[in-house]
Amino acid sequence: MRTLRLHALAVFAAVSGGFAQVPYQRIVGADGNPNTWVTYSGNYQAQRFSQLAQIHRRNVAQLKPAWVYQMRNPGIVETSPIVADGIMYITEPPSTATALDLHTGRPLWTYTPNIPQDVIIIGSPPVNRGVAILDNTVFYGTVHCHLIALDAKSGIVRWDTVVDDNKKGYYITAAPLAIDGKIIIGVSGAETGIRGFVDAYDAKTGKRLWRTWTVPGPGEPGSESWGGQSWQHGGGSTWVTGSYDPDLHLVYWGTGNPAPDWNDDTRPGDNLYTCSLLAMDPETGKIKWHFQFTPHDVHDWDATEVPILFDAEVKGRRRKVVSMANRNGFYYVLDRQTGEFLTAAPYVKQTWADGLDAKGRPFPRREADPKVEGTLVYPAIAGGANWWSPSYSPRTGLFYQATREMAGVYFKGDADYKEGTAYAGGGGETKNGDEAYGAVRAFEATSGKLRWEFKLLTPPLTGLLSTAGGLVFGGAEEGNFYALDAETGKALWDLQLGGAVRSPPVSFTIDGKQQVAVTAGTSLFVFGLP
Amino acid sequence: MRHVLVLISLAVFPLAAQNGDLEKGRQLFLGMCSRCHGAEGGGGEGPNLNRPVLSRAPDDQALTAVIRDGIPDRGMPRIRRFTDTELHAMVVYVRSLSRTAGAVVAGSPEKGKAVYQRSGCSSCHIIDGEGGNLGPELSGVGAHRAADYLRQAIVEPAAALPRGVMPFPGRGLNEFLPVRVVTRGGQEVTGIRVNEDSFTIQVKDANNQLHSFRKTDLQTLEKETGKSLMPDLRTTISGTDLDDLVAYLSSLGVVK
Repeated sequence: MRTLRLHALAVFAAVSGGFAQVPYQRIVGADGNPNTWVTYSGNYQAQRFSQLAQIHRRNVAQLKPAWVYQMRNPGIVETSPIVADGIMYITEPPSTATALDLHTGRPLWTYTPNIPQDVIIIGSPPVNRGVAILDNTVFYGTVHCHLIALDAKSGIVRWDTVVDDNKKGYYITAAPLAIDGKIIIGVSGAETGIRGFVDAYDAKTGKRLWRTWTVPGPGEPGSESWGGQSWQHGGGSTWVTGSYDPDLHLVYWGTGNPAPDWNDDTRPGDNLYTCSLLAMDPETGKIKWHFQFTPHDVHDWDATEVPILFDAEVKGRRRKVVSMANRNGFYYVLDRQTGEFLTAAPYVKQTWADGLDAKGRPFPRREADPKVEGTLVYPAIAGGANWWSPSYSPRTGLFYQATREMAGVYFKGDADYKEGTAYAGGGGETKNGDEAYGAVRAFEATSGKLRWEFKLLTPPLTGLLSTAGGLVFGGAEEGNFYALDAETGKALWDLQLGGAVRSPPVSFTIDGKQQVAVTAGTSLFVFGLP
Repeated sequence: MRHVLVLISLAVFPLAAQNGDLEKGRQLFLGMCSRCHGAEGGGGEGPNLNRPVLSRAPDDQALTAVIRDGIPDRGMPRIRRFTDTELHAMVVYVRSLSRTAGAVVAGSPEKGKAVYQRSGCSSCHIIDGEGGNLGPELSGVGAHRAADYLRQAIVEPAAALPRGVMPFPGRGLNEFLPVRVVTRGGQEVTGIRVNEDSFTIQVKDANNQLHSFRKTDLQTLEKETGKSLMPDLRTTISGTDLDDLVAYLSSLGVVK
């Protein structure tokens, strides 16, 4: 046995010495190799669907932990693991990258950059959602707003690029998206009045290839949608990984709220391209089309939810579409070639808009705007959905989303711009309590029509994974991890993991046997059949 | 020119500036604080602020920190981010409340203690380590609940069910929520919810027995929102006895 292992190692070394570990074409063909998990949402279409079916409805109740990895730092864990060639790559809060042996969970290497003591992180906890992998290198962003490339086998730094100035409030929580030779990354910081952007970097050198501002400057298209100088600190952060269509050669990336969030006095107009989905040419960053879900947002309705790509018949013909369960409470389906609005439907209780017009533009209720004394609005500040990954199953044609049914009170406050300080102009209070609840909901992906729901005690922050085994995996704030029947929503298995599940599950194989991984609290669990 | 104007206004109108802060602070307080602390800081579910010394905020720096960050483990949330100007205005306003004389609590704490003892309260409540554990501990309750709230908790307990703070049973969930469950095997249990998740519930019955159920094993799970296991005492404790009991509870934990 020992001899065999040594042989395997020798072969492995020969292979890794001569060939790229995860070439671009392997990510393009991710669905054809479900033994690994090589990009944030599993495939470029961001479907977070595993083609593996070894774990299925009839045997899922036998799931057992294979191993557990306990992270060393306190904090909130939102990482989505990457799995390739016997290694799992994760990030730990706030900005550590770690490689784990896939058989045992034993760390192989770990890397933590020097984060300044006075690092500015305003607008979210200091989280990280994971690494990207391309060829022999892993990439991730940090809270001090660097993009770092590490050798995948040793964790040694290949390059370390400053994306932008943390003193202005820029920081990174998103996992990068690796495409052919390029690393695409977005930033956080709209609550500090940054001007948002999406960047692409050369994967080999770390040199910036292009930057697309999400808030246009004077004279650029869309600049007329800002009052005065408000564009300079207009927000529009880009803090969740987008999706990619290699055939159309378009990258899809969501943008966040305008700044200041809850005080709109200085920013009359639609505030393009905040709260929007951008379709960009990956060669140049040029915006091919945009769709703004919430023009002139005053509730923090970031459109930084994961945009899922699939092909289906909508409005009478087969189309390439992109869909999103937006933080604002509506589920949208757009034509991803043109950006044309196809359909939308509310998927949680919402009281901020009187529906949408034929082009998908909302009719906002101005009485729902934030006030100094507070305004009660559904959904609460975290939205109906948010950064936690949805899942789309090509088998069922359903879009799965962990949803929040909760009211919030929105306050308007002062907004004085001062570099590196909060520029939020108010805030929100959530109406926690027994009246609030959550649900995993399955919608018909082409319409948003509800097929089933599985209720949760409190509003969740969990990602979901659907599988060819007919299952949907998800978590809960109270620590439950569970598998639902993808057709009916019936719970088939659950286990208490002892800490909130706030990361999205992934699936892969160890020695040919299917596993499912998820974090709870500050631990990472891997489950398989005995 | 502008500098001159600023100097003049500072010299002549310091009181006006202070009044501006006061009014701004009052508006912010009404929106975000009054639900728990009362419109004029008289308290309620949260502490009365009409007192010269706030135990968590002995100076302005500490008060600023409390308003900015909340006291999450005591149920005071960090509601939102504030600018320095807003924080200053709220500190000015809250300090003005501390100079207001608090509502006088009628009744005698000493007599109230006797009412407490003869009414059987201690069978369910602990004060300074003594008593039963089915209801909330009352040691120091006067420091964080106002008299009106305590009075309501006695005569109409279901209307004053405390909302939970982190971590159990969960932020904002009702604590001491009465529940009734019936298992598929026919066993019926009534008691209070100790904890719950999406798949299980933990219940303590009136005999202090803990029960843990998987929800799929239950045929009935009733959360009796709007009820309390505490008896409604308005017929048994009234008049001066009630005033005395409120005075006694209000005195607990208050530094003179």
